[in-house]
Amino acid sequence: MQAERRAWESELSPLMVRYQQGDAAAVDELVQRLSSMLMQFLGAFGLSRADTEDLFQDCWIRIHGSRHTYRPAEPVLPWIFSIARHTRLDGYRRRRRRESREVLVASPPDLIASQTAEAPAADHQEFDRMLESLPESQREVIFMLKVTGMSLEEVARATSSTVGAIKQKAHRAYEKLRSVLEGERT
Amino acid sequence: MRALKQSGSSAGGSIANVMSEDCRQIDLELDGALSASPEARASWKVSEQVAAHLRKCERCRRLYRWLLDSTVPQEAVHALAETVKAKLKQSLTPVTPQSSPRVLAAQFLLVFLLFSAPMVGMMGTAGLHEMNLLQLVGIVTVLISGAALLSFSLAWQMSPGSLHRVPPRIAVIVLAVGLLAATAIIFPWQEPQFFLLRGWECLKAGLLMAAPYSLLFWVMVRRGHTLASGMLGASLGAIGGLLGAFVLQITCNRQDAVHLLVWHGGVVIVSLVLGVLVAWGVNGLLRPRA
Repeated sequence: MQAERRAWESELSPLMVRYQQGDAAAVDELVQRLSSMLMQFLGAFGLSRADTEDLFQDCWIRIHGSRHTYRPAEPVLPWIFSIARHTRLDGYRRRRRRESREVLVASPPDLIASQTAEAPAADHQEFDRMLESLPESQREVIFMLKVTGMSLEEVARATSSTVGAIKQKAHRAYEKLRSVLEGERT
Repeated sequence: MRALKQSGSSAGGSIANVMSEDCRQIDLELDGALSASPEARASWKVSEQVAAHLRKCERCRRLYRWLLDSTVPQEAVHALAETVKAKLKQSLTPVTPQSSPRVLAAQFLLVFLLFSAPMVGMMGTAGLHEMNLLQLVGIVTVLISGAALLSFSLAWQMSPGSLHRVPPRIAVIVLAVGLLAATAIIFPWQEPQFFLLRGWECLKAGLLMAAPYSLLFWVMVRRGHTLASGMLGASLGAIGGLLGAFVLQITCNRQDAVHLLVWHGGVVIVSLVLGVLVAWGVNGLLRPRA
């Protein structure tokens, strides 16, 4: 599976080059290949579906506007995720500003809770809560390392950080997860 | 998960103790699944052995559920992806890839040196005559190294996904501390004369140079895609201030440590702070309203 993963990644760079050359088929292919991973990343931090979809579209617009900054032969995922990461941060700031101006005029109707299509399983909720115990920067690093499968150097590139700093964040996240797991077992 | 397991066992943690051989097998299989492409992951099925283990081990069941949840339903993304494709194709034109960070950094450094020359030509070289060889070589080395560091930092900041050998925050701190420390060490400490009057003249001249040059560097940086506006403002302010301090170093005839630290160093620090404030202000104005 690792080899398949590498092959999948290596196909992205020629697609990006074709995208820079204005090839419409490359746009289709890239959006198709990267969208679910991007949606997953943007929605992994407790956002509503609508907010995630807004961020997703905003993210692709930004990727499109800065496609000239991709350099052929460089890894594609760190380039994509560095833009996605800042889209998410900007979205977070925008939401915080909006929420600070909003005034609650009535209690939200109970209907909203019952509209949730599928209630997550109890143990699943527990695991989510465990992940939520991590600071956002550590959760982000764990996501990139474990879900997108990026290497330490690629995560460092995506987060404008150094490999040493990423190792430290990942280590702290593992320690915290381990202590939460230990706490739950005892 | 592999690293989590290693982290647990290296610290002698109890997770490693409660993990059976089957758990380790599950970890290997889940690691393999996590490393697969999103399409392959969506269609991934566990083996019989793993399925049997999942039924009896809560720890592995939780990890497995988390992995399943991390795959987004393809149909939910599909419609949105079609909208995005249509939008992107509306303005799809060929673009020329940006130069490498090294070339960009060289351009910044070249601009730094080229644009300081006419200012020195206008303001004279009185400072050169006041310094001895050690002071001249020492301070010019520090100033040019600082400019090179900031040039690389700006180049990395305008290239998303590039590997920052030195994070922007560290670059700015290294520059400020290095400049102040070098000045304090290699220049004599004398009783200042007309400290405020002469100093204010230097600070004013330095900032008047720093502002347009920071703006010039910003125009260059805009060709790329910048991410963190506050840090970019600090870097732009710092490099503009450094250019002002560089010109003052050559043109000012007051070469004592106190004057240089407070007023010439002040040009870099004030310019850096102004850069951050302007970046935040501009970012706030340009940000789309919710």
